Amino acid sequence: MGSYLRPTSLPEALAALAATPRIVLAGGTDYYPARVGRPPEDDLLDITAIPALAGIAETEEGWRIGAATTWTEVVEAPLPPLFDGLKAAAREVGGAQIQNAGTVAGNLCNASPAADGIPNLLALGATVHLASASGDRVLPVAEFVHGNRRTARRADEIVTAIHIPGPKRAARSVFLKLGARRYLVISIVMVAAVAEFDEDGTIASARIAVGSCSAAAVRLPALEAALAGQRPDPALVAEAHLAPLSPIDDVRASAAYRRDAALTLLRRAVEALR
Amino acid sequence: MPRVSLTVNGKPVSAEVEDRTLLVELLRETLRLTGTHVGCDTSQCGACVVHVNGDSIKSCTLLARQAEGAEVVTIEGLAAADGTLHPMQEAFREYHALQCGFCTPGMVMSAIDLVKKNPQGLSEQEIREGLEGNLCRCTGYHNIVKAIDAAQQVMHGKVKELPRAAAE
Repeated sequence: MGSYLRPTSLPEALAALAATPRIVLAGGTDYYPARVGRPPEDDLLDITAIPALAGIAETEEGWRIGAATTWTEVVEAPLPPLFDGLKAAAREVGGAQIQNAGTVAGNLCNASPAADGIPNLLALGATVHLASASGDRVLPVAEFVHGNRRTARRADEIVTAIHIPGPKRAARSVFLKLGARRYLVISIVMVAAVAEFDEDGTIASARIAVGSCSAAAVRLPALEAALAGQRPDPALVAEAHLAPLSPIDDVRASAAYRRDAALTLLRRAVEALR
Repeated sequence: MPRVSLTVNGKPVSAEVEDRTLLVELLRETLRLTGTHVGCDTSQCGACVVHVNGDSIKSCTLLARQAEGAEVVTIEGLAAADGTLHPMQEAFREYHALQCGFCTPGMVMSAIDLVKKNPQGLSEQEIREGLEGNLCRCTGYHNIVKAIDAAQQVMHGKVKELPRAAAE
């Protein structure tokens, strides 16, 4: 039987992790269901009582989403259109009760290939802030998520926040998700897109990420390059842009179906950026 | 064993729990508040929904110790001391929004949170979407939606008395 700690300060939490590796727990929405019927053996560190990890704040560089921020808090926060995609994801992560408990950072650390948050964080150019008793570090999301359930987080580290840089120009974002049903199911394909626009309505820069089509969500640099300098036009999306994807066959969909659906969702996402 | 202290249905409660005890186990087995049900154990069905600090959550997905200091409301905490039902409970009765009743406590708790968070009023479609986290396997959704629509009118003070269901 493992032990449970619920520290009320970050130094206390970091000291505990420095002493013993523990499962870091916030909403727990994916933790418990994976362990039904098994005796609990993990040592747990519950981070939901640490004020320094709470809430969303505007910073000089952009925004900070504290590690204990729930999906509901994202939906309710007064955020600019840059966050429309993340908000759309927040509204579709399970039902309302899951959104009330589950956190954005937990979704990231859990690192499921089908995590709804990760494509959005990639498209937002987010960075992951980690703390440990021996020091802090910052990693881009693409360097933090290594693969299926694998991240760069060391056992003695806690993700304290996700930082999102402010756009230089007018920005819009979109998130599209395909599942067998809209809610409560694991996504078959997800597309997140963030674009910054010049005053004449052309795309100055775009970041496009696809989830559920590789072990970790990835950006599509060739598509991003093809969109730059153009007005949003679905015809700009080509099959060759899907090269970074490596979808698998599983119970939810075949690889071929995923590839086809990704292409369709990408075209819809570009259309939605208009 | 560690001790957890919280407020349940307005009363302070303190109980010894194991670290691994889930909130729903504390409610059902220690406090004997068996109105909160466990359907799936995996956060899908919503039969275990209770309110924690004003938000609906699935109590099979929260450790009892995570609710330290929290205000918890269960289905047993809705009716007034004299037995007067909460408008949502009254509406579920009036509109026959249940068949076997297993999902009902969770449905009622989710519905109250949904209505409270949407003071502008909910359309039928929004009510249906708001119930995504609650499963009814008797196909009772249709009357559940009608009940929530009626209850929201009372809860938002639009009508004094619950609109009666049409005679079948």
